Amino acid sequence: MGRNVAIISVGYNGRFISKRPDINIPELIQPAVNNALSKTKLKPEHIDAYVVGNMHTFEGVNQPHLWASDHFNGSGKPVMRIATGGTTGASVYQAAYYHVASGMYDVVMAIGWEKQDEGDSQVGLMGILLPEAFSLFHFGPDTTSDRGIAGLGGGGSTGGAAFQAMSYLTRANAGIEHIDRVAALMRSNAAKNPYAHLQQPGCTEADIAGTPIISYPLRFGHTCPTSCGAIAMILVSEEKAKKFGLTDRVAWVKGLGSGTSDATTGNLIEGQITDPAEQQICKITAKKVYSMAGIKDPRKDIQVAEVYSGFSHQDLMWPERLGLFDEGMAPKMLDKGVYAIDGELPINPSGGVTSTNAIGASAMVRVGEAALQVMGLAEGGHQVQRKIENAVAHGWGGLFQFVTITVLGKTPVKK
Amino acid sequence: MTEETRIIESTWDLTAYQFKIEADALNLFVKGLKDKKILGRKCRVCGTVYVPGPTYCRKCLVDIDQVVEVSQEGRLDAFTVSLADVRGKPVENPFISCTVKLDGTDSFLMGVLEGWTDWRSVKEGMRVKVVFKDVTQGALADLSHFQLI
Repeated sequence: MGRNVAIISVGYNGRFISKRPDINIPELIQPAVNNALSKTKLKPEHIDAYVVGNMHTFEGVNQPHLWASDHFNGSGKPVMRIATGGTTGASVYQAAYYHVASGMYDVVMAIGWEKQDEGDSQVGLMGILLPEAFSLFHFGPDTTSDRGIAGLGGGGSTGGAAFQAMSYLTRANAGIEHIDRVAALMRSNAAKNPYAHLQQPGCTEADIAGTPIISYPLRFGHTCPTSCGAIAMILVSEEKAKKFGLTDRVAWVKGLGSGTSDATTGNLIEGQITDPAEQQICKITAKKVYSMAGIKDPRKDIQVAEVYSGFSHQDLMWPERLGLFDEGMAPKMLDKGVYAIDGELPINPSGGVTSTNAIGASAMVRVGEAALQVMGLAEGGHQVQRKIENAVAHGWGGLFQFVTITVLGKTPVKK
Repeated sequence: MTEETRIIESTWDLTAYQFKIEADALNLFVKGLKDKKILGRKCRVCGTVYVPGPTYCRKCLVDIDQVVEVSQEGRLDAFTVSLADVRGKPVENPFISCTVKLDGTDSFLMGVLEGWTDWRSVKEGMRVKVVFKDVTQGALADLSHFQLI
């Protein structure tokens, strides 16, 4: 591990919402950049380099960094764009971390965004699935009924997630009502987060259970919205943090890592061998990250978690795979109130991805929210009041086979 | 701001794409379907049985040349019930898409599940068998569905 790195500021463009027809991508990014700078004494000239990213193809805008860089003050400085699908935000942040930890730069800004009203995510996904779909058509699927390819997929990413959800429910011996319950908690948490998209104060299990089923066991109320939003974070070296007089209200990066397994859904051509609810790679990566962060028992040493859950069953699955609960115990922990903002181990006080999903920003929002919790700066009533020493942030992407994990804390790991 | 949204009509010419895919796995699979057999490939190193079988082992990264015929019965793995169409309108006849692990294989095969009356009674772990179309022609459509035993 290189030098110690701290997150000193997290900025949002404003509340994330479905449609921003009044602005374009640079105009979406700029307020987040200004917001992050305004919380520090830094000026644009203090930033040494930028790492930026969004999900490719979802906006229908090609290479947006090429013409957006002026607008985040990137001209004349190193700008690196990273696009790794669902994990984009976390990959951008991790690259920004490496920029500083390596000693190359002292002050780096990471920016993640998505402006989904400019394109169609489903068309973007379609572009990714085209090779598979074309090859299947070559081998003569049943196209005369709804039981052909369309029937098999169950429709878009929800279809793939439904298989994972069913496998999870069986493994945890839980039911759809647990997914309803966790979804309701996330939406009511979101009401306490001024930047969240779907804010439903006091949302109940019955509210979610009243929404139609898309692909059993997933309902409309279990799925994420498509949001427009941007996040910017400033990462600095330990020396600079001291020089700026910023060592009290910062979040230290204590451990981070990413992992990859085989495609765990939709890989019909090559014979899919891994169950999407197993997530061995998440367990392995979590262990490595905890060891890097000096965390011996994540259940005792971590006080809050932000997990990336595009679908509500994942709010139950990921905390287990991150080692925060025993496998199959998440539904029981939820029922005991452990998940709540004032619970023993709050999960997604921000409302999570099922409440707000600007895809290229989402995985970085998890890190940003974890940082705000460590700094004690989460706004609007979603700050966890118990003492937070460490927080874990998680992201996933691809066909459930990519994972990124970060541990942030109040005190840096000693070098 | 006078005009929020403009609709521009255009077409997407899919013939502009040229994808090169590894055809051997599905070629072998559909060839088997024509004879009402399920064919896969088995890795000599780790013993993993893939259906459809790629020409290399995804665990050991070695070539696989051993073709195996596998059982036509297996275990119901995960499934999803389609209760609404793409517009959210409830469908009259819900159907179940499922993944099945055929006995002696390590990969999941996708298909439609039949032989149930109430989808609420369908559970992971139930036994299923492969049902072929009466007349097979060497296409993916030859595998009609999986039937609960």
